[in-house]
Amino acid sequence: MFNDVMLRLRSLFRRKAVDSEMDEELRFHFEKHVEKLVRSGVAPAEARRRARLEFGGIEQVKEEYREARGVNFIETLVQDIRYGLRILGRTPVITFVAILSLALGIGANTAIFSLIDTVMLRMLPVQKPDELVLLARTNRTSGGEPTPSFTNALWEQIRDLQDVFSGVFSWSDTKFDLSNGGAVRNANGLFISGDYFKTLGVQPAAGRLLSLADDQRGCPGVAVLSYGFWQDHFGAAESAVGGTISLDHHIFPIVGVSAPGFYGVDVGQKFDVAVPVCAAAIFDGKESRLDHRSWWWLSIVGRRKPGTSMERTKSRLGVLSPEVFGGAVPQDWEPKDQKQFITRSVVATPAAKGISYLRRRFGEPLHILMAVVGLVLLIACANIASLMLARAAARNKEIAVRKALGASRARLIRQLLTECIMLSSAGAALGILFARWGNALLVRYISTTRDQVSLDLSLDGRVLAFTAVIAVLTGTLFGVLPALRSTRVSLSSAMKGSQGEESDRRARFRPGKWIVASQVALSLVLLVTAGLFLRSFVKLITLDIGFDRNNVLLVSANLKTAKVPPDRYLATFEDLESRLHSLPGVVSAGRSVMTPISGFEWNNIVHVDSPDAPTGDDALVNFNFVSPGYFQTLRTPILAGRGFDGRDTKTAPRVVIINQTMVLKFFHGANPTGKYFKLGPPKPGEPAPAIQVVGVVKDSKYESLREIIPPTAFFPITQIPELDESATFELRSLTPPAGLIPAVQETAAAVNKEIPLEFHTLSKQVDDSLVQERLLATLSGFFGGLALLLAMIGLYGALSYAVTLRRTEFGIRMALGALPGSILSIVMKDVAIVLSAGLLAGATLSLLAVRLLQKLLFGLTARDPLTIATAIGILSTVALLAAYLPARRAMRVDPMVALRYE
Amino acid sequence: MPEPRVDLPQGTLDLLILRTLALEPQHGWAISERIHQISSKVLFVQQGSLYPALHRLERRGWIKSRWGTSENNRRAKFYELTKLGQKQLELEESTWRKLAAAVAQILETN
Repeated sequence: MFNDVMLRLRSLFRRKAVDSEMDEELRFHFEKHVEKLVRSGVAPAEARRRARLEFGGIEQVKEEYREARGVNFIETLVQDIRYGLRILGRTPVITFVAILSLALGIGANTAIFSLIDTVMLRMLPVQKPDELVLLARTNRTSGGEPTPSFTNALWEQIRDLQDVFSGVFSWSDTKFDLSNGGAVRNANGLFISGDYFKTLGVQPAAGRLLSLADDQRGCPGVAVLSYGFWQDHFGAAESAVGGTISLDHHIFPIVGVSAPGFYGVDVGQKFDVAVPVCAAAIFDGKESRLDHRSWWWLSIVGRRKPGTSMERTKSRLGVLSPEVFGGAVPQDWEPKDQKQFITRSVVATPAAKGISYLRRRFGEPLHILMAVVGLVLLIACANIASLMLARAAARNKEIAVRKALGASRARLIRQLLTECIMLSSAGAALGILFARWGNALLVRYISTTRDQVSLDLSLDGRVLAFTAVIAVLTGTLFGVLPALRSTRVSLSSAMKGSQGEESDRRARFRPGKWIVASQVALSLVLLVTAGLFLRSFVKLITLDIGFDRNNVLLVSANLKTAKVPPDRYLATFEDLESRLHSLPGVVSAGRSVMTPISGFEWNNIVHVDSPDAPTGDDALVNFNFVSPGYFQTLRTPILAGRGFDGRDTKTAPRVVIINQTMVLKFFHGANPTGKYFKLGPPKPGEPAPAIQVVGVVKDSKYESLREIIPPTAFFPITQIPELDESATFELRSLTPPAGLIPAVQETAAAVNKEIPLEFHTLSKQVDDSLVQERLLATLSGFFGGLALLLAMIGLYGALSYAVTLRRTEFGIRMALGALPGSILSIVMKDVAIVLSAGLLAGATLSLLAVRLLQKLLFGLTARDPLTIATAIGILSTVALLAAYLPARRAMRVDPMVALRYE
Repeated sequence: MPEPRVDLPQGTLDLLILRTLALEPQHGWAISERIHQISSKVLFVQQGSLYPALHRLERRGWIKSRWGTSENNRRAKFYELTKLGQKQLELEESTWRKLAAAVAQILETN
């Protein structure tokens, strides 16, 4: 109703005018009534008195009148906010500290939540993401998780046989070198099947996207750019479409650009360039992965037909499986394995949120961090609650006066809560700023040279809602208790101006004690968590890894892309190695096929002629192929026998150097030099060439720092069974290794200008393998410290307040002859009780909680007594320190001053 | 001056106000006086309920207000019935009469 709205708006915005009109109207009424009484013969003064009595409280009538205007709620809110601003402004330092600690707490929560939201909760920005399912295959061992990777043959079978999807596509991510030799410039590439964009419902921003026609065997290959890449590398020029791009030294025509906001289905990675699956043949040459039936490189996603349920999809895929696998059997497998192969099946899982390795890798750490920041926020809340309690006590008189004037308790509580929510909202606003800044930092932190993480961390509705909810929740959490307590004042004692009865005073501090004790408990949990992560991180980085990671430059080179003929590979590599070795600043140089802690492994079964030799999977040995300079460059000592040298040519007798673990496992720890082993499981009647052990090297980590060092065999790189087009040079320098890069590039260009080079340092490679551990250690350490600081501020504040409350008592005690020392012990006894209650609760809580961390720890158990003891020690020391200052003040109370004050 | 007072049943105040205003525009005090007098001093409207009720009626569009001059030349807020209010009054009157008759009938059958 128009009338209604106008009146309400008028009341809201012309409050003063409306109020004075109301005043006038009521005054008129009152005076008319007095007039009437006077006319009936009552004396004027008596008439006024009677009228007033009859009317009841004028203010009450006004309040009811306002209520009827229907905007009272907003009005009181505005009033409360104004009043709150005044109150908060009166103690700017406390307000600032409160807002800052809330901002840190809320900001940390928002930051971690928005990561969780982006990585784990958000839907893909494509049409109807709910219909998408990710396919996987069951494995040889029935118990294992299904693996979401397929061979091209399997993909073609599924594509051609399925009848449950309205569209299905496959893809594989890869890196494309954009350069034409020299330092590699990598772009994130995708091999995609023809229906990729169509099935996802992604539109082109320019040109056209790939279609089925582009993805046919023997295709010439075309490329589609992502919107971001198009902007960054082509300045969003229209002319880019129709131009070309060089990928790994092959020229591809650009046919279009995909829509902005689409980054691919792998959350955490953004694709730059997409080419059809068939284009893999262009890069692979004759033996392409299109035909290789045990090359598991494709992921597959399908879109369920509308109305086809997940169950129906799953069961139909199960029915189709024998046919799918039957048509894609790897021809080179053993008959028994082939038979097993066709018993596997295709399974489906929902894929609405995309696929992400980040989820596997950081899912658990993110949840732990969410719990950690949640605890930090709780501690911050507790802090502000004790602050509010103290302030409420100071406002005792004000509240008593307002109550006496007729304010209801509910009204006062509302006022106090409004103040709290104002504080928490300010904290949340600032917290969002912190979160944006922190998020950028976090993403950079979890990115490694090899896996650049790029996430779309724009604040979406869900994140903002989350922040708003925790702001209100925290405000209520730290506000309710003080509001309830402080509005329960006894009017008479407050008005008398005294601080109330002794018992009343002690009772008033009781909730303060509880708050401090719980802060201590929560801080202990955080400190223990931080301690565990820090200690396991330190254990990892101080581990004896068997090589010296410092000052080693890794240079990867690929000769195939440089179009070097395969029979020249070995000579070219040898030439390069000797040239790099003689560079000034290079102490020693080596080359190998695998580098340590790269996350890759090459293994094979070996057998020794001995009755109790390991067999089957137990006989798996990790391999590497290295040049003579390798061990010296990595500083892995040779413990027995000899290293490789010029004798070990391609045609020389085959030799091997093995590590200590392999000596123990295969040769019972006896000196193995001169002994032999063979590759593969023993096959009667088919003698494999025997390989002679010529040396033993110290154990070193192979794939990751967390592994138990596997038995490892090093072969001369000259005797590698298949010609390998790529190798990595290790260059040890005296100076920071990155300084060598220009000289290395020049040297390589002198041999062949087209050789693509990738640079890395060994120390960075080792560091990159510890991203998860470092993230947990740094963040839990940071938040543990923050919690400690907050808890100490809380303790200090609460105790100062308690001391103020008991000033008179201390004064009297001193006047009666108590020594300062005994006053100190009274206070410290209180502290000790609170502290030990908190520590006890915290230790119990920690013991329960840390079990969840066990999987992420290294080299220590979750209930590590040293860590828990240290945390308790640190917390008690700092707590006692924080308590000492107010306690000392209690000791110095001047009895006269304290008594006079009362 | 003890007067027999009867509390108004819920909702009847609105009807009484509308009825009073049907005669002529009035200010608040006059409304309460008129009700007091016509009811032979049985009904007494507290200003605490009168003004919120007036405001409520105004918001519903049944009455409207304007500032005018009172009998003795003072500024006062006058309320008058709108067309909508006239209809509402007729409706409420008939409802009330039905109700009252029904209640009376029940009370008399014993």
